[in-house]
This record gives sequence, C-alpha cells and structure tokens, in this order.
Amino acid sequence: MTIDIPFMWTAFKEIIKALPVTMMLTLIPLFVGFFIGIVVALIRVYKVKGLLAIANGYVSFLRGTPIIMHVMLIYFGFPLLIDAVAAKLGISVQTQLIPISTFVLTALSLSAGAYLSEVIRSGILSIPKGQVEAAYSVGMNTFQTMVRIILPQALAQSIPNFTNIFVGFLHTSSIAFLVSQKELTGAANIVASTNLKFLEAYIAAGIIYWLVTILVEGLSSLVEKRATSYMRGGVR
Amino acid sequence: MIYLQGIKKSFRNQEVLKGINLTIEKGKVVTILGPSGSGKSTLLRCINFLEKPDEGVVQIGDVRVVAEKANKKDIMALRKQSAMVFQHYNLFAHKTVLENVMEGLIVAKKMKKAEARQRSEQVLERVGLSDKLNYFPSQLSGGQQQRVGIARALALNPEVILFDEPTSALDPELVGEVLAVIKDIAKEGITMLIVTHEMQFAREVSDQVLFMDGGVIVEKGSPMEIFTNPREERTRKFLKRISGGLPVHWIQKTAY
Amino acid sequence: MGKAFDITLVGEFLPQLVQYLGVTLQILAVSTVFGIVIGIAAAIPRLFRIPILSQLVVVYVSFIRGTPILIQLFLIFYGVPALFLLFDIDLTRMDPLYFVMITYSLSNGAVFSEIFRGAIQAIDYGQTEAAYSVGMSDSQTFFRIIIPQAIGIAFPNMANCIISSLKDTSLAFTIGVMDMVGRGETLIASTAHALEVYISLSIIYYIVVLVLEKLFRLFEKRVNRYKPDVVSSA
Repeated sequence: MTIDIPFMWTAFKEIIKALPVTMMLTLIPLFVGFFIGIVVALIRVYKVKGLLAIANGYVSFLRGTPIIMHVMLIYFGFPLLIDAVAAKLGISVQTQLIPISTFVLTALSLSAGAYLSEVIRSGILSIPKGQVEAAYSVGMNTFQTMVRIILPQALAQSIPNFTNIFVGFLHTSSIAFLVSQKELTGAANIVASTNLKFLEAYIAAGIIYWLVTILVEGLSSLVEKRATSYMRGGVR
Repeated sequence: MIYLQGIKKSFRNQEVLKGINLTIEKGKVVTILGPSGSGKSTLLRCINFLEKPDEGVVQIGDVRVVAEKANKKDIMALRKQSAMVFQHYNLFAHKTVLENVMEGLIVAKKMKKAEARQRSEQVLERVGLSDKLNYFPSQLSGGQQQRVGIARALALNPEVILFDEPTSALDPELVGEVLAVIKDIAKEGITMLIVTHEMQFAREVSDQVLFMDGGVIVEKGSPMEIFTNPREERTRKFLKRISGGLPVHWIQKTAY
Repeated sequence: MGKAFDITLVGEFLPQLVQYLGVTLQILAVSTVFGIVIGIAAAIPRLFRIPILSQLVVVYVSFIRGTPILIQLFLIFYGVPALFLLFDIDLTRMDPLYFVMITYSLSNGAVFSEIFRGAIQAIDYGQTEAAYSVGMSDSQTFFRIIIPQAIGIAFPNMANCIISSLKDTSLAFTIGVMDMVGRGETLIASTAHALEVYISLSIIYYIVVLVLEKLFRLFEKRVNRYKPDVVSSA
C-alpha cells in the first residue's frame, strides 16, 4: 500500500466542501455557550443563592464528562423528553422529524457554556479588587461596575483562553460524525470508505483542520494585541 | 587574594568595562561605588564568570583563569573560590532555609550531609536565623532572605565573597539588619568585595574604596581619602550629588 | 432506541460497564507515561535550540494541537500498518488498543513538551546564577535547582491534560477498542436502551474525573509546598 498523493488532492477538494458544516457546528455552540457562560460565571462570582449550587453542578458535571456523552445523552434523551411532555399536553410531536443537528448543537452549546463560564469567571477574578473599589468610589453601582469596568478587561485578557476553547470546539465538532453529521470528519469518512483510501482521506481532513487552526490562532493573536492595547504601559 | 588584569567586557558594541586592573589583598574589605551603569556590577560578575569577560585575567587564591582560554573546568574551579550575595537574594525557592545553605556544601564541596548540616546551622545562627531553619524563602521578609543569602555564601568559606548591591531591593527599614550582619562578618577577616549605594556603610566597613565610572576605576583609596578628600573631579561630583541631602535610594532610582 | 426509558437499567448496566474501566485506565496510564517520555524528548531540542530537530518538534506540536484527536486516531490506525507494510510486516490483526495507546501517547507528548518547556522557562535565571555562584555545574544546577521547581509549575497543567486525556479515551471505541464505551455499544446493540447506557457511562466518567482531580490536588499541595499561597493554607 502506497500513498496516492493525487487522490489526496481530490479528497481535499471534496472534504473541504464540508467546512461550512464544521464551522456551523463550532460557531453556533460557542455563540450560545458564551451567553450561558456569562450568566453562569456571574452566578458563581456573586454566589447567587439558590442558583449557585445548580451552576456549580452544571459546570462540574459537563467538564467532568466526555463531550461525546453530552451529545449522546441529548441525542437519545431529548426525543424521549419531548415525547413525554407532548403526551402530557395531549399534542403530537413527530420527534423523528427534528433534524439531528439540533441535538448536536444543543449538546455542544451546553458543553461550551460550561467551559466558557470557567474562562470568563477566572477572567473576572483576575481583575484587581482595587478596580471595583475605584468604580464604587466614582459612584457606579454593582451592575455598572461589572459591565463597564470588569467585563471589558476580563474578556480582553481571556482572549488566549477563548482561542484555546475555539480550537478545542473546532476539533470537538468532529465527534458529530458519530451521529452521522456530514462535517469535515464525516465527509472524510465517506470519501475514505467509498474509495477505500482511508489514509489519504484522513490526511486531507487533518490538513484542513490544521490550516483552520493556524488561521484562527493567527487571527486571535492579532485581535489580542488590539484588545489589550491598554496594558502596554503607554507604549504603542 | 584577588588579582584582575585587563578585564574588558562589551554588551552589543557598548564597552562596559574598559580594561580593569585590580589587586585585593587577603582579608581586605573593598567597596565599589559609582553611578548606575558605571560597570561595577558587571565587574563583580566577571570575577566569578557569571559574565564571561571578553579579555583579561582573573585570579582568586591560586586559581588563575585567562578569559580568552577559559573552559568549563577552569570556570568551575574559579567559582569554587568565591561566593556571591545577590541583589534579589536568588534563594532556591523550593528549598528550606537550611537546605539553601547546605546545597552548595553538599553538591559543590562534596561535604557529608551531617557535617554540612552542622556547618549550616552554625552559620545561620551567626546571621540570627536559628529559628527559621525549616522555613521556605517565601515565608521570610526580604531582610531575612538576604541574611540567608549571606549565610549561603559564608558557609562555603570562600576566598572572597562578592556582594552585588545586597540592600538595594530591600525596604528601607530592613536595610539595617542586613548591613549589621555584613559588618559583623567583615571583622572576621574574610575578603569581601561589595558593590553598594550605602555611603555611610561603605565608610564604616571598608579598608579600601573604589570609585568607578564609565567602565574604569577612576579613583581608589581609604574611606577617609575618598569621602573627605577625593582627588578626581568625577568622584567629587558623584559624592556631592549623593550628599546633597537626598537619600541614596532616590538618586539610584532617578539615575536611570 | 424506541424502548421505554427505564432508570433501573442504569443500576444494572453500571457494574457491567465498570468492569471495563481497567481498559480505559490502562490507556490513560500508558499514554501518560509515554507522553512524559516523548514530552521530555521533544522539549529538549527547543530548550537547547538544536537546529532541524527543534523545527521538527514545532511542526509535530503544531500538527497535534491543530487536528482533532479523532483524526489522529484514524491516521495512526490506518497509517502505522501502511508504514509497516513497506517493510513487509503485517499489523492488520494487531489489537486496536495499541493504536489507541500510540495515538494518545503522541498527543500527550506534544502537549507535555509545551508544558515542560514553559515551566523550565518560568524559573527565574537568578536561581541559575545563584547555583553557579555556590560552585554547581550546569547539570547539577539543571537537575537540583531547575527541574524540581519546574515540576511544581508543570504539575497543574499536566493534571488538566491527563484529565482531558481520560475524557478523550471515550473515542477509542471508534476503531473497535473494547473499553467502557465499546462495551456500552454492545449493550445498546443487545438491549436497545441507549440512553440508560450513556447515563451509566457518564456517571462512571464523572466519578473517575472527580477522584483524579482530588488526587492531583493533594499531590500538587505536596510538590508546591514552598509556594506562599500553599504554605499559608497548609
């Protein structure tokens, strides 16, 4: 068995068509997860009574279990849940008509929320307490202090961590192929098994992921330079 | 005895030492004064080859190293003749006070553990830290850390101890305790070479004072001569600037 | 799918699945040990700026960090036998477990090498100078002063990496390894109670992660006992 280089190029062209699906499976969960993350982080920072235990449990369980488990739990659990609710309400819902991608996106969003809440929380905690006191001293309330003073700095400082999460979820989206999503890995799997050229197909897919990762990391370091320009000690 | 001949050192085309010649007799305490950037710390670091001189000869005791031909073995031998006290203490962060002092004795001097422990405890008592033997450096004040640094150097019983601005990083109220320790061991007859900005201390402790500026030794003499009747204009200007009623720390900071 | 949800099945599946925890832990242990070896080997060329080798390491680390573990798993699963076939060695009937171990060792090795490099570079150079000043040689300084402190710095990151590696082992079943998830798949095939199987698996993973976290935290306190925040809370 030798490697068929020309076929790798063919596979590359075929597989990269699935890049939009991968990007969708990455960006939507991160976008939704960001808002979940902020809410959960604030609950934990302010130790909101009643919600704190739930928030802690959510973060701990989702970070403590493989993401494939989240996908499977939602994929198999949600239809049962919807059916049960629908039966109670006496309406009929055709759960098998709900696209699988909905379940995948739900699961990945919940995971992303847990991971992002940790990043946001540690970003908030890294801002010196003196800044909060200074904000209070000029008459800001708690909400204004958080939104105007703490969060902008916390988020800017967390860019390297956000990048790691982004790359992590870009790679994690590959498990969606296990529930037959045709994203990059799923496409590679199809190309591989229809042509019986497994290695070439996965090399091509690997290169695509690699290129996207390098691109994302490069962009992120540019953004980071701009966003944290206030930390450069007055030197441009 | 320390003997330096023609020590030259440049950093990126900037000549920091322009050929230093110096002999220090055994048992003498010598302080080096001079403005920031005059090359005094570099000179000290050239003596134990933390900076490798570009040219020149360094001799401590009977170990003589020619900079151009220096190999690792020579440098190791030279370093075993000396010990250093650093501005930022540079204690081994993962070792206790006692272990910090023992480390050099066990590793470099190949001393037996029990003997090294005994020696270290003795020296630590000398610097007044008998009650802190099992503390980690992070649990000590700056002054206490620097006293450990001094004990670490002293324990090795070297030909010479090199002090690189030992009190510059300390809070003003902690300077006194460290200077007191240095003065105390100066009486013992160990050769010491001290870079400092503490004029009063230099005056009290030294047998000889060197004034450096622009990479050369401008003037040397007894504390009496240097402080009360300096021959060179540059020395006079420097001393005038410091004694202008401003604390030395302030001058040190604004000199940058 | 399709069968009614039955929570009591979780109690029934748990003991059956736990029997395969050993396989998961075996993958984790082997890939951690080899990962450390590879990590050290890969950190050296970059720390000491060895030409060519250090560029190769950069590419290796970048590739591992740039691709999903699933793709790496497939590349090793199909690539290693193809490579050995060139020398007329047939690996097609080798236990897929070995391919999983190779993949996770390589993956951990890349991450570890970055952790080690960062930890060593984080040690203040003043410590090296102090060691020289008391007469230590380069190697004495490296092994007695730098490495012990670097381990303390590297440990929390390594612990995180090992835990995420444990979670990643859940993908080993995709190339046919009979670990917990692999066994779970067969249970699903025979009982059609997928949700109950995945609930059981999640419980096991969660407990193992919590136990590992606890252990690592205890150990971390020990290796970093000289640090101020650890000292004061001890």
